Amino acid sequence: MQQSIWQGIKLVFRKELVAGLRFKAAWAAMLMFALTTLACVSMAMQGGMLEPRLLAALLWIILFFASLAGADRVFADEDTVGTLLALRIYGRSQAVLMGKMLYTFFLMVVLATFITPLFVLLLDVTVTVPGLLVGVLLLGCGGIAAAGTLVAALTTGANIHSSLFSILMLPVILPVFLPAISLSAASFGGGEGAISYLAGMGLYDLILVVGASLLFDYLWYED
Amino acid sequence: MVTIRFEAVTQCFHGRTIFGPLQAELASGRVVAVTGQNGSGKSTLLKLAAHLLLPTAGSVVVTADGRALKGDSLRRRMAMVTPELRFYPRLTARENMDFLLGLRGITLDEIAYRALLNRVELREQEIGTAFAGEFSTGMRQRLKLAVLLASGADIWLLDEPGANLDMAGRKLIVREARQAADEGRLVCWATNDEREEAAADAAIHLAGH
Repeated sequence: MQQSIWQGIKLVFRKELVAGLRFKAAWAAMLMFALTTLACVSMAMQGGMLEPRLLAALLWIILFFASLAGADRVFADEDTVGTLLALRIYGRSQAVLMGKMLYTFFLMVVLATFITPLFVLLLDVTVTVPGLLVGVLLLGCGGIAAAGTLVAALTTGANIHSSLFSILMLPVILPVFLPAISLSAASFGGGEGAISYLAGMGLYDLILVVGASLLFDYLWYED
Repeated sequence: MVTIRFEAVTQCFHGRTIFGPLQAELASGRVVAVTGQNGSGKSTLLKLAAHLLLPTAGSVVVTADGRALKGDSLRRRMAMVTPELRFYPRLTARENMDFLLGLRGITLDEIAYRALLNRVELREQEIGTAFAGEFSTGMRQRLKLAVLLASGADIWLLDEPGANLDMAGRKLIVREARQAADEGRLVCWATNDEREEAAADAAIHLAGH
Protein backbone atom coordinates (compact mmCIF):
# COMPACT_ATOMS: atom_id res chain seq x y z
CA MET A 1 0.00 0.00 0.00
CA GLN A 2 1.54 3.30 -1.11
CA GLN A 3 0.88 6.37 0.97
CA SER A 4 0.75 9.70 -0.82
CA ILE A 5 3.15 12.32 0.54
CA TRP A 6 0.29 14.71 1.20
CA GLN A 7 -1.60 12.14 3.30
CA GLY A 8 1.60 11.54 5.26
CA ILE A 9 2.14 15.27 5.80
CA LYS A 10 -1.42 15.61 7.10
CA LEU A 11 -0.93 12.68 9.50
CA VAL A 12 2.34 14.06 10.88
CA PHE A 13 0.86 17.57 11.22
CA ARG A 14 -2.23 16.24 13.03
CA LYS A 15 -0.12 14.07 15.33
CA GLU A 16 2.11 17.05 16.19
CA LEU A 17 -0.91 19.21 16.86
CA VAL A 18 -2.68 16.65 19.08
CA ALA A 19 0.50 15.80 21.02
CA GLY A 20 1.41 19.50 21.27
CA LEU A 21 -2.02 20.48 22.61
CA ARG A 22 -1.95 17.64 25.15
CA PHE A 23 1.60 18.36 26.39
CA LYS A 24 1.74 22.12 25.73
CA ALA A 25 5.44 22.44 26.70
CA ALA A 26 6.53 23.96 23.38
CA TRP A 27 3.50 26.25 23.25
CA ALA A 28 4.01 27.41 26.81
CA ALA A 29 7.76 27.97 26.38
CA MET A 30 7.33 30.05 23.25
CA LEU A 31 4.39 32.11 24.46
CA MET A 32 5.85 32.74 27.91
CA PHE A 33 9.18 33.82 26.46
CA ALA A 34 7.48 36.19 24.03
CA LEU A 35 5.13 37.59 26.68
CA THR A 36 7.88 38.11 29.25
CA THR A 37 10.14 39.89 26.76
CA LEU A 38 7.30 42.03 25.50
CA ALA A 39 6.24 42.97 29.03
CA CYS A 40 9.83 43.88 29.98
CA VAL A 41 10.30 46.10 26.91
CA SER A 42 6.91 47.72 27.38
CA MET A 43 7.53 48.52 31.06
CA ALA A 44 11.05 49.77 30.38
CA MET A 45 9.77 52.16 27.69
CA GLN A 46 7.15 53.67 30.03
CA GLY A 47 5.17 55.07 27.12
CA GLY A 48 8.22 56.47 25.29
CA MET A 49 8.34 56.39 21.49
CA LEU A 50 10.84 54.31 19.54
CA GLU A 51 12.12 54.63 15.99
CA PRO A 52 10.28 52.31 13.53
CA ARG A 53 13.51 50.44 12.74
CA LEU A 54 14.18 49.79 16.43
CA LEU A 55 10.59 48.69 16.92
CA ALA A 56 10.88 46.30 14.00
CA ALA A 57 14.14 44.86 15.37
CA LEU A 58 12.47 44.37 18.78
CA LEU A 59 9.50 42.56 17.23
CA TRP A 60 11.75 40.14 15.32
CA ILE A 61 14.04 39.59 18.29
CA ILE A 62 10.99 38.54 20.31
CA LEU A 63 9.69 36.25 17.54
CA PHE A 64 13.09 34.74 16.75
CA PHE A 65 14.13 34.00 20.30
CA ALA A 66 10.66 32.72 21.19
CA SER A 67 10.94 30.34 18.22
CA LEU A 68 14.26 29.08 19.60
CA ALA A 69 12.40 28.04 22.73
CA GLY A 70 9.95 25.88 20.81
CA ALA A 71 11.00 25.12 17.24
CA ASP A 72 13.93 22.94 18.27
CA ARG A 73 11.56 20.49 19.96
CA VAL A 74 10.08 19.03 16.77
CA PHE A 75 12.68 16.27 16.66
CA ALA A 76 14.19 16.58 20.14
CA ASP A 77 10.92 15.57 21.81
CA GLU A 78 10.73 12.45 19.62
CA ASP A 79 14.31 11.63 20.59
CA THR A 80 13.66 12.21 24.30
CA VAL A 81 10.57 10.00 24.54
CA GLY A 82 12.08 7.41 22.19
CA THR A 83 9.49 7.63 19.39
CA LEU A 84 12.02 8.62 16.73
CA LEU A 85 12.73 4.96 15.90
CA ALA A 86 9.04 4.22 15.28
CA LEU A 87 8.82 7.33 13.12
CA ARG A 88 11.92 6.29 11.16
CA ILE A 89 10.55 2.80 10.57
CA TYR A 90 7.02 3.79 9.54
CA GLY A 91 7.34 7.34 8.20
CA ARG A 92 8.60 8.44 4.80
CA SER A 93 11.27 11.10 5.03
CA GLN A 94 9.50 13.81 3.05
CA ALA A 95 6.18 13.33 4.83
CA VAL A 96 7.90 13.61 8.22
CA LEU A 97 9.95 16.67 7.24
CA MET A 98 7.12 18.56 5.58
CA GLY A 99 4.58 17.62 8.27
CA LYS A 100 6.88 18.90 10.99
CA MET A 101 7.80 21.99 8.98
CA LEU A 102 4.12 22.78 8.44
CA TYR A 103 3.43 22.35 12.14
CA THR A 104 6.33 24.67 13.08
CA PHE A 105 5.02 27.22 10.59
CA PHE A 106 1.57 26.94 12.18
CA LEU A 107 3.12 27.38 15.64
CA MET A 108 5.02 30.47 14.47
CA VAL A 109 1.92 31.97 12.84
CA VAL A 110 -0.06 31.44 16.06
CA LEU A 111 2.76 33.05 18.02
CA ALA A 112 2.97 36.02 15.64
CA THR A 113 -0.83 36.40 15.65
CA PHE A 114 -0.80 36.49 19.44
CA ILE A 115 2.27 38.69 19.94
CA THR A 116 2.05 41.27 17.12
CA PRO A 117 -1.28 42.90 18.20
CA LEU A 118 -0.01 43.02 21.80
CA PHE A 119 3.25 44.53 20.59
CA VAL A 120 1.39 47.17 18.57
CA LEU A 121 -0.86 47.96 21.53
CA LEU A 122 1.70 48.01 24.34
CA LEU A 123 4.40 49.92 22.44
CA ASP A 124 1.91 52.26 20.78
CA VAL A 125 3.03 51.39 17.27
CA THR A 126 1.33 52.89 14.23
CA VAL A 127 1.07 50.37 11.43
CA THR A 128 0.90 52.39 8.22
CA VAL A 129 1.02 49.46 5.77
CA PRO A 130 -0.74 46.49 7.48
CA GLY A 131 -0.68 44.34 4.33
CA LEU A 132 3.11 44.57 4.16
CA LEU A 133 3.43 43.64 7.85
CA VAL A 134 1.23 40.57 7.37
CA GLY A 135 3.24 39.51 4.31
CA VAL A 136 6.57 39.96 6.12
CA LEU A 137 5.33 38.07 9.17
CA LEU A 138 4.15 35.14 7.03
CA LEU A 139 7.41 34.95 5.07
CA GLY A 140 9.49 35.39 8.23
CA CYS A 141 7.56 32.63 10.01
CA GLY A 142 8.01 30.44 6.92
CA GLY A 143 11.78 30.99 6.98
CA ILE A 144 12.04 30.27 10.70
CA ALA A 145 9.93 27.11 10.27
CA ALA A 146 11.98 25.79 7.33
CA ALA A 147 15.36 26.56 8.86
CA GLY A 148 14.25 25.51 12.34
CA THR A 149 12.97 22.12 11.22
CA LEU A 150 16.13 21.30 9.28
CA VAL A 151 18.49 22.49 12.02
CA ALA A 152 16.41 20.63 14.64
CA ALA A 153 16.77 17.43 12.59
CA LEU A 154 20.52 17.98 12.22
CA THR A 155 21.09 18.60 15.92
CA THR A 156 18.86 15.82 17.29
CA GLY A 157 20.85 13.41 19.39
CA ALA A 158 23.63 15.89 20.11
CA ASN A 159 24.51 16.25 23.79
CA ILE A 160 24.40 20.05 23.57
CA HIS A 161 21.34 20.06 21.36
CA SER A 162 19.84 23.41 22.44
CA SER A 163 23.10 25.35 22.28
CA LEU A 164 23.96 23.83 18.91
CA PHE A 165 20.49 24.65 17.62
CA SER A 166 20.84 28.34 18.54
CA ILE A 167 24.36 28.59 17.11
CA LEU A 168 23.46 26.97 13.78
CA MET A 169 20.12 28.71 13.48
CA LEU A 170 21.43 32.29 13.52
CA PRO A 171 23.56 32.29 10.32
CA VAL A 172 20.92 30.28 8.45
CA ILE A 173 18.12 32.64 9.37
CA LEU A 174 19.97 35.98 8.98
CA PRO A 175 19.00 36.38 5.29
CA VAL A 176 15.36 36.23 6.43
CA PHE A 177 15.85 38.25 9.58
CA LEU A 178 17.51 41.36 8.07
CA PRO A 179 14.99 42.08 5.28
CA ALA A 180 12.17 41.23 7.71
CA ILE A 181 13.36 44.01 10.04
CA SER A 182 13.72 46.45 7.17
CA LEU A 183 10.27 45.67 5.74
CA SER A 184 8.58 45.67 9.17
CA ALA A 185 10.12 49.10 9.81
CA ALA A 186 8.63 50.28 6.51
CA SER A 187 5.22 48.98 7.58
CA PHE A 188 5.61 51.02 10.81
CA GLY A 189 6.15 54.16 8.71
CA GLY A 190 9.95 54.04 8.66
CA GLY A 191 10.73 54.62 4.97
CA GLU A 192 9.90 52.77 1.80
CA GLY A 193 9.70 49.00 1.79
CA ALA A 194 11.55 47.63 -1.20
CA ILE A 195 9.40 44.98 -2.83
CA SER A 196 12.60 43.23 -3.91
CA TYR A 197 13.26 42.45 -0.22
CA LEU A 198 9.89 40.73 0.00
CA ALA A 199 10.62 38.71 -3.13
CA GLY A 200 14.08 37.91 -1.74
CA MET A 201 12.57 36.60 1.49
CA GLY A 202 10.14 34.43 -0.47
CA LEU A 203 12.97 33.09 -2.62
CA TYR A 204 15.16 32.33 0.40
CA ASP A 205 12.25 30.54 2.10
CA LEU A 206 11.86 28.43 -1.02
CA ILE A 207 15.59 27.65 -1.09
CA LEU A 208 15.43 26.61 2.57
CA VAL A 209 12.47 24.30 1.94
CA VAL A 210 14.04 22.70 -1.15
CA GLY A 211 17.46 22.45 0.55
CA ALA A 212 15.92 20.85 3.64
CA SER A 213 13.99 18.42 1.47
CA LEU A 214 17.15 17.37 -0.42
CA LEU A 215 19.27 17.03 2.71
CA PHE A 216 16.73 15.27 4.86
CA ASP A 217 16.78 11.98 2.94
CA TYR A 218 20.46 11.59 3.89
CA LEU A 219 19.56 12.06 7.55
CA TRP A 220 16.57 9.75 7.46
CA TYR A 221 17.96 6.79 5.53
CA GLU A 222 21.33 5.32 6.48
CA ASP A 223 21.90 3.65 3.10
CA MET B 1 11.45 -13.79 -2.18
CA VAL B 2 13.23 -11.44 0.23
CA THR B 3 16.81 -12.01 1.39
CA ILE B 4 19.12 -10.15 3.72
CA ARG B 5 22.76 -10.92 3.06
CA PHE B 6 25.54 -10.00 5.50
CA GLU B 7 28.79 -9.89 3.57
CA ALA B 8 31.89 -9.85 5.78
CA VAL B 9 30.15 -7.50 8.21
CA THR B 10 32.17 -6.21 11.13
CA GLN B 11 30.73 -3.82 13.67
CA CYS B 12 32.77 -1.71 16.05
CA PHE B 13 31.72 0.91 18.58
CA HIS B 14 34.29 3.34 19.97
CA GLY B 15 37.12 1.16 18.68
CA ARG B 16 35.73 -2.03 20.26
CA THR B 17 34.79 -4.82 17.87
CA ILE B 18 31.32 -6.12 18.71
CA PHE B 19 31.24 -8.91 16.14
CA GLY B 20 32.57 -9.87 12.76
CA PRO B 21 33.46 -10.58 10.15
CA LEU B 22 29.99 -12.09 9.76
CA GLN B 23 28.80 -13.94 6.67
CA ALA B 24 25.12 -14.89 6.77
CA GLU B 25 21.96 -14.92 4.71
CA LEU B 26 18.38 -14.63 5.92
CA ALA B 27 15.60 -15.62 3.56
CA SER B 28 11.83 -15.35 3.55
CA GLY B 29 9.85 -18.33 4.74
CA ARG B 30 12.19 -18.98 7.64
CA VAL B 31 12.53 -17.97 11.26
CA VAL B 32 16.14 -17.21 12.15
CA ALA B 33 17.18 -16.67 15.74
CA VAL B 34 20.14 -14.46 16.61
CA THR B 35 21.64 -15.57 19.89
CA GLY B 36 24.54 -14.57 22.07
CA GLN B 37 25.33 -13.15 25.45
CA ASN B 38 24.50 -9.58 26.46
CA GLY B 39 26.60 -7.12 24.50
CA SER B 40 27.37 -9.60 21.72
CA GLY B 41 25.60 -7.41 19.16
CA LYS B 42 22.20 -9.08 18.63
CA SER B 43 20.25 -5.82 18.57
CA THR B 44 22.97 -4.22 16.46
CA LEU B 45 22.64 -7.00 13.90
CA LEU B 46 18.90 -6.30 13.60
CA LYS B 47 19.57 -2.58 13.12
CA LEU B 48 22.10 -3.42 10.42
CA ALA B 49 19.53 -5.66 8.74
CA ALA B 50 17.03 -2.79 8.85
CA HIS B 51 19.63 -0.36 7.46
CA LEU B 52 19.15 1.79 10.54
CA LEU B 53 22.89 1.54 11.06
CA LEU B 54 25.83 1.28 8.66
CA PRO B 55 28.35 -1.50 9.30
CA THR B 56 31.91 -0.53 10.15
CA ALA B 57 33.10 -2.91 7.43
CA GLY B 58 31.37 -5.13 4.90
CA SER B 59 27.85 -4.67 3.58
CA VAL B 60 24.27 -5.65 4.30
CA VAL B 61 22.31 -6.21 1.11
CA VAL B 62 18.54 -6.59 1.14
CA THR B 63 16.91 -7.86 -2.04
CA ALA B 64 13.38 -8.69 -3.13
CA ASP B 65 13.17 -10.94 -6.18
CA GLY B 66 16.72 -9.98 -7.11
CA ARG B 67 16.09 -6.23 -6.80
CA ALA B 68 17.99 -4.32 -4.12
CA LEU B 69 15.87 -2.67 -1.45
CA LYS B 70 17.13 0.58 0.03
CA GLY B 71 15.80 3.63 1.79
CA ASP B 72 12.06 4.00 1.54
CA SER B 73 11.57 0.85 -0.54
CA LEU B 74 13.12 -1.18 2.31
CA ARG B 75 11.35 0.63 5.15
CA ARG B 76 7.93 0.08 3.55
CA ARG B 77 8.45 -3.69 3.62
CA MET B 78 9.89 -3.88 7.11
CA ALA B 79 8.57 -3.78 10.65
CA MET B 80 10.32 -4.11 13.97
CA VAL B 81 9.53 -4.98 17.55
CA THR B 82 12.34 -3.80 19.78
CA PRO B 83 12.61 -2.49 23.34
CA GLU B 84 13.84 0.83 21.88
CA LEU B 85 10.65 1.30 19.89
CA ARG B 86 8.25 3.49 21.86
CA PHE B 87 4.73 4.71 21.26
CA TYR B 88 3.65 8.31 21.62
CA PRO B 89 2.91 8.53 25.35
CA ARG B 90 0.13 11.10 24.98
CA LEU B 91 -1.73 9.30 22.23
CA THR B 92 -4.08 6.39 22.82
CA ALA B 93 -3.43 2.92 21.43
CA ARG B 94 -5.84 3.58 18.59
CA GLU B 95 -4.28 6.97 17.81
CA ASN B 96 -0.79 5.47 17.81
CA MET B 97 -1.88 2.67 15.49
CA ASP B 98 -3.77 5.00 13.18
CA PHE B 99 -0.75 7.28 12.94
CA LEU B 100 1.96 4.68 12.36
CA LEU B 101 -0.11 2.50 10.05
CA GLY B 102 -1.52 5.57 8.31
CA LEU B 103 2.02 6.54 7.36
CA ARG B 104 2.13 3.25 5.46
CA GLY B 105 -1.23 3.96 3.83
CA ILE B 106 -3.10 1.44 5.98
CA THR B 107 -6.39 2.35 7.58
CA LEU B 108 -8.04 0.15 10.20
CA ASP B 109 -11.79 0.15 10.54
CA GLU B 110 -13.39 -0.60 13.90
CA ILE B 111 -13.91 -4.30 13.13
CA ALA B 112 -10.30 -4.80 12.00
CA TYR B 113 -9.05 -2.89 15.04
CA ARG B 114 -11.02 -5.06 17.47
CA ALA B 115 -9.97 -8.23 15.68
CA LEU B 116 -6.34 -7.14 15.96
CA LEU B 117 -6.67 -6.44 19.68
CA ASN B 118 -8.21 -9.90 20.15
CA ARG B 119 -5.40 -11.46 18.15
CA VAL B 120 -2.73 -9.98 20.41
CA GLU B 121 -4.91 -10.62 23.48
CA LEU B 122 -5.29 -6.98 24.47
CA ARG B 123 -8.60 -6.15 26.10
CA GLU B 124 -10.19 -3.04 24.67
CA GLN B 125 -11.75 -2.01 27.98
CA GLU B 126 -8.23 -2.00 29.51
CA ILE B 127 -6.66 0.26 26.94
CA GLY B 128 -9.83 2.16 25.97
CA THR B 129 -9.08 5.87 26.12
CA ALA B 130 -5.86 5.54 28.15
CA PHE B 131 -2.69 7.05 26.74
CA ALA B 132 0.05 4.66 25.67
CA GLY B 133 2.31 6.19 28.32
CA GLU B 134 0.04 4.67 30.97
CA PHE B 135 0.31 1.10 29.63
CA SER B 136 2.23 -1.66 31.35
CA THR B 137 5.36 -2.88 29.53
CA GLY B 138 3.53 -6.09 28.59
CA MET B 139 0.63 -4.15 27.09
CA ARG B 140 3.04 -1.99 25.12
CA GLN B 141 4.78 -5.10 23.83
CA ARG B 142 1.44 -6.53 22.66
CA LEU B 143 0.61 -3.22 21.01
CA LYS B 144 3.94 -3.34 19.15
CA LEU B 145 2.97 -6.79 17.95
CA ALA B 146 -0.43 -5.49 16.83
CA VAL B 147 1.21 -2.76 14.73
CA LEU B 148 3.61 -5.33 13.27
CA LEU B 149 0.76 -7.65 12.30
CA ALA B 150 -1.33 -4.87 10.80
CA SER B 151 1.61 -3.41 8.87
CA GLY B 152 1.61 -6.33 6.43
CA ALA B 153 5.42 -6.11 6.34
CA ASP B 154 7.25 -9.06 4.84
CA ILE B 155 10.44 -8.49 6.85
CA TRP B 156 9.99 -8.97 10.60
CA LEU B 157 12.87 -7.96 12.82
CA LEU B 158 12.15 -8.81 16.44
CA ASP B 159 14.44 -7.93 19.30
CA GLU B 160 13.68 -9.93 22.47
CA PRO B 161 10.01 -10.13 21.40
CA GLY B 162 9.03 -12.23 24.42
CA ALA B 163 10.52 -9.80 26.91
CA ASN B 164 7.98 -8.47 29.43
CA LEU B 165 5.36 -10.95 28.25
CA ASP B 166 3.71 -13.67 30.28
CA MET B 167 3.70 -17.30 29.12
CA ALA B 168 0.61 -16.77 26.96
CA GLY B 169 2.27 -13.77 25.34
CA ARG B 170 5.43 -15.73 24.55
CA LYS B 171 3.40 -18.51 22.99
CA LEU B 172 1.56 -15.89 20.96
CA ILE B 173 4.86 -14.50 19.62
CA VAL B 174 6.12 -17.93 18.61
CA ARG B 175 2.77 -18.79 16.98
CA GLU B 176 2.59 -15.54 15.01
CA ALA B 177 6.24 -15.74 13.91
CA ARG B 178 5.77 -19.30 12.70
CA GLN B 179 2.61 -18.37 10.83
CA ALA B 180 4.37 -15.37 9.27
CA ALA B 181 7.25 -17.55 8.07
CA ASP B 182 4.77 -20.10 6.69
CA GLU B 183 3.14 -17.26 4.77
CA GLY B 184 6.51 -16.45 3.20
CA ARG B 185 7.73 -13.66 5.46
CA LEU B 186 11.30 -13.24 6.62
CA VAL B 187 11.44 -13.45 10.40
CA CYS B 188 14.59 -12.74 12.37
CA TRP B 189 14.55 -12.52 16.14
CA ALA B 190 17.23 -11.75 18.63
CA THR B 191 16.69 -13.81 21.72
CA ASN B 192 18.19 -15.39 24.80
CA ASP B 193 15.08 -17.48 25.41
CA GLU B 194 15.75 -21.16 24.79
CA ARG B 195 12.15 -21.81 23.70
CA GLU B 196 12.30 -19.02 21.13
CA GLU B 197 15.65 -20.30 19.91
CA ALA B 198 14.24 -23.83 19.64
CA ALA B 199 11.26 -22.55 17.64
CA ALA B 200 13.53 -21.05 14.97
CA ASP B 201 14.54 -22.82 11.76
CA ALA B 202 18.13 -21.65 12.02
CA ALA B 203 20.31 -19.63 14.35
CA ILE B 204 23.16 -17.16 14.09
CA HIS B 205 25.25 -17.29 17.23
CA LEU B 206 27.26 -14.20 18.03
CA ALA B 207 30.19 -15.17 20.19
CA GLY B 208 31.19 -11.64 21.12
CA HIS B 209 34.73 -10.31 21.36
